[in-house]
Amino acid sequence: MIRHKPKVVWIQAITCNGNTHSLLSSNYSRFELFLNSFDFFYHPSLTTQNSLEDVFSLKEIDFLLIEGAISSNKEFYSISNNDTLSLLEKLANKSKYIICVGSCASYGGVHAKFEENKQIKGVSDYLISWNLEKIKHPIINLTGCPVHPEWILQTLFSLKQRETIALDENKRPKEIYYGLAHHGCTRNEYFEWKVEAKSFGVKEGCLFYEQGCRAPMTHSNCNRILWNDVNSKTRAGMPCIGCTEFDFPRNNMLETKKNIGIPMDVPLGINKRAYLTLTGVAKTFKIDRLNKKLIE
Amino acid sequence: MKTVDIVERIEGEAKLVCSWKENKISDARIEFLNFRGFEYILQNKPILDSLVYTPRICGICGQAHLKATVEALENIYENVNEALVITNKAKLLREIGLNIEIIDSHIKWFYMFIMPDIAKLSNDIKYNKYEPLKGSLWLNASRVASETIKAIAIIGGQWPHTSYMIPGGVMSDPTLFDLTSMQNYLEQAIIFFENTLGGIDFEEYLAFSNMEDFLKTNGSLIDFKNIAFKNNLEKIGKAYDSHIVLGSSSLFESGKIKIKNISKIDSSKISESSINTFKVNISKKENEYTWSKTALYANEFYETGPLSRALISNRKFIKTIHKEYQDSVFTRVLARMDELAHLLYTTKKLISKVDTSEPSFIKPKYSLNDIETAIGSSFIEASRGSLSHKVEVSKGLIKTYDVITPTVWNLGPGIKDKYGVAQKAIVGLDSISKAEIVLRSFDICSVCTTH
Repeated sequence: MIRHKPKVVWIQAITCNGNTHSLLSSNYSRFELFLNSFDFFYHPSLTTQNSLEDVFSLKEIDFLLIEGAISSNKEFYSISNNDTLSLLEKLANKSKYIICVGSCASYGGVHAKFEENKQIKGVSDYLISWNLEKIKHPIINLTGCPVHPEWILQTLFSLKQRETIALDENKRPKEIYYGLAHHGCTRNEYFEWKVEAKSFGVKEGCLFYEQGCRAPMTHSNCNRILWNDVNSKTRAGMPCIGCTEFDFPRNNMLETKKNIGIPMDVPLGINKRAYLTLTGVAKTFKIDRLNKKLIE
Repeated sequence: MKTVDIVERIEGEAKLVCSWKENKISDARIEFLNFRGFEYILQNKPILDSLVYTPRICGICGQAHLKATVEALENIYENVNEALVITNKAKLLREIGLNIEIIDSHIKWFYMFIMPDIAKLSNDIKYNKYEPLKGSLWLNASRVASETIKAIAIIGGQWPHTSYMIPGGVMSDPTLFDLTSMQNYLEQAIIFFENTLGGIDFEEYLAFSNMEDFLKTNGSLIDFKNIAFKNNLEKIGKAYDSHIVLGSSSLFESGKIKIKNISKIDSSKISESSINTFKVNISKKENEYTWSKTALYANEFYETGPLSRALISNRKFIKTIHKEYQDSVFTRVLARMDELAHLLYTTKKLISKVDTSEPSFIKPKYSLNDIETAIGSSFIEASRGSLSHKVEVSKGLIKTYDVITPTVWNLGPGIKDKYGVAQKAIVGLDSISKAEIVLRSFDICSVCTTH
């Protein structure tokens, strides 16, 4: 059976390559199915058959995946003699779908914090005013530092099959980012009863009250689909640092800023007074089980 | 005559600019043209946020940067006479995490970054199994890498880019069953070593002492050796054969070798020069051609990485190979893969030593924010060699942060009339494809080199 395999081109702009290594850490049978279902035409660290010149001479690219932030400054950053903006320009016009892989491509991310290079931005910040000839779908942001490999695969497979997917106001697939990182966290019972983790390094307690966890206000499904098939940061004991949101990286990511003993930022969409009242009530119940070690 | 070669399929991109005289490379410049300014980004950030930022210097060796940061911050406590107590469990979980990342990096490097080029040197179709994205061994290596890295996710929550280490210990508290799963994931890499990479019993391999032993193997390593010897890769790629190892761990000893003498490190002799390096927002001078700085010890160039570690830690097999073939491409590549086997062995042992009843974390009595001004530094052995971090803090904020990556030691520009390590290994070669393989033998990471 000859099947049409859509052409996938992955380019790297201003990046640490973390999204590439995230892809390479995906569930292997899923990755293999991806390689069988798509024509992975070019990736600067993986493919040998085609060069960037070959990509430039393509008439059409089905899926253009961009890893890394974009800048017009060539002094700080260039890929095969192109600044990253002109690299994007050369390829965006040929592409049917443009997918920003990771927070840097989506909005600049960590790299936009390099203030000496003032032009570091996300792909959409530059593309918004361009008239792209072949584009069939609004630009898609897969935020996350790094992106979860399953987000890339699900997005590509869904588009291949259905041609269009629903996006939220930040151009992210709703199916991935509708919920919060908090959903599915194994520490949720502690969150409900306002039992904080006594310190780092323990299985017991919620990381929201002291350790800076942003899971109740961060759109992501880390705790539903898990990382590397086995775990998530908050399950392991590391607070969520909100890496899928547009204010990442924030300041003081490993501690909770508080006001009269209550976190300054309360869970998304919850009225502060309501949260305060609920906390007061929950704390009056001293639940022994939740204050004991899980494994004695 | 001048030739310019863009080197891809490394971590990032490099430009190799060669000058030719009588069909030989008479001068070589390794240009790293991408600069992301992490040392600038870190200025004035809250101190503990460095634990989130530095792993993002590099997507492949983030855990090395994380460990370097946490140890530099703990060194601050030592320097103000408030040394922290770190439990043995926390120390083990940090070293285990770093080792797993190196194991993952070595597997990917061999099959994705160097073997495709080595295989292309031969026309034999039996080497098609190394073809990227399609070859059976490429796919198998990618499967094993993604299985192995799950072991970090168990203690770190995810990989890449976890920040599970913190001054005082680690954030996670694995159960005995978790540790068993980690052993199982590493066991998969050992089976891969036995069936595919080494093609020999693991224990038998670890007892190797010479070439004769090695010739008994029947896996990818012998494929590499056969193609390498047909193309004289055991004769090219030699640099200064001076070696430096700044960090130490269960497997690695610190030290340096110059003209065969091993000696101790005096960290005050390490220096960084930027004579030939671009400067931020200052227009280029004619001699400046790369964003990489130059790293020196007592004003001399030293190579760092798995070969240096094997020699200084006295690992017999690699020492014998090195005696015969010096610091050639062949020795350098073999040393990296030999390290993979030793890391698997050591890391499994380390996991079995973790006592789950110990605390993972002991909260520091003082916050780093309460320290007026102080400096801390650390030396770590990362995948590609020695990594050092130095941080100066003042009133809760980072004042300066300095990172010297392994690739700066190996790939940084020469100064005055002296070549850098990789430059030295390239000059004198008679083809650009050989030059590219020599360059690759150092395991180039452009993102780390310029950070």
